[in-house]
Amino acid sequence: MAFQKLQVPQDREERKLLLDPSSPPTKALNGAEPNYHSLPSARTDEQALLSSILAKTASNIIDVSAADSQGMEQHEYMDRARQYSTRLAVLSSSLTHWKKLPPLPSLTSQPHQVLASEPVPFSDLQQVSRIAAYAYSALSQIRVDAKEELVVQFGIP
Amino acid sequence: MEATLQQCLEDTMENPCTIGVLCTDLQGLNLGCRRTPSDEHAGVISVLAQQAAKLTSYPTGISVVCLESDNGNIMLQKHDGITVAVYKMAS
Repeated sequence: MAFQKLQVPQDREERKLLLDPSSPPTKALNGAEPNYHSLPSARTDEQALLSSILAKTASNIIDVSAADSQGMEQHEYMDRARQYSTRLAVLSSSLTHWKKLPPLPSLTSQPHQVLASEPVPFSDLQQVSRIAAYAYSALSQIRVDAKEELVVQFGIP
Repeated sequence: MEATLQQCLEDTMENPCTIGVLCTDLQGLNLGCRRTPSDEHAGVISVLAQQAAKLTSYPTGISVVCLESDNGNIMLQKHDGITVAVYKMAS
C-alpha cells in the first residue's frame, strides 16, 4: 500500500521535460555533429531529471508495507492500553444520551404460554365495543357553551 | 357536561374483571380514566389504535387492539373520535 500527498505537478523540471523535446529537433537541422553532441547531453539531462523525480517520489510517498515495524516492549503496550481505556472512559461519561434510554418493559416471561392460551373471549370484545359506543355518545354532550360575548364594545361617547 | 362520560366510566368499572379504563381523543387528550391507566398512557393508546386501523381495510373499520400478558389483557377500540382502553384482569 502506498500513500501519496495530493500535489499538482507544477515542477519546473517536469515542465522542462515537456519543453526539451522541442530543442533537439531544431539542432538536428544544422547537421549530424550537433545532433550527436546534443543526444548524450539530453540523455544525461534526462537521467538527472529521472533521478530527481525518483527522489521526490520517495520523499512524498509513504510505503506502509515496506516500513519496518518497531517492536514495542510489553510495558509500553500496557501503558498505551491503559491510556486508551482512560480516554474512552472520559468520552463515554460525556455520552449521557444513550444511557437515558430505559430498557423495554417485559410483559411476560413466558411468551409461549401467553400465545398458546385461549384467545380474548368474544364477550370481552363486545363489551369493549359497547363501552366505546357509549363513551362516544357521552362525548357529544361535551361542547362549547357560549354564555357571554367575548368581544364587547366600550361605551365611549 | 362531562357527567355522562364519567357515568360511562363508572359503569365500566362495575365489572369485577375490569381493573382500569381510559378514554382519549384522537390527539391523546385524556378525557377520563379510572385506576390503572393515567394521563401519560393516553397518547400511546390513541396512537396504537390509529396505527392498527391502518393495517386493515375492513369495511366497517372497527378493530380491537388486544395486548395480552400474564396479568391480563388491554383492549383498545377506536370509535370515530374517541379511543377507549379497557384493562381486564386475567380470568
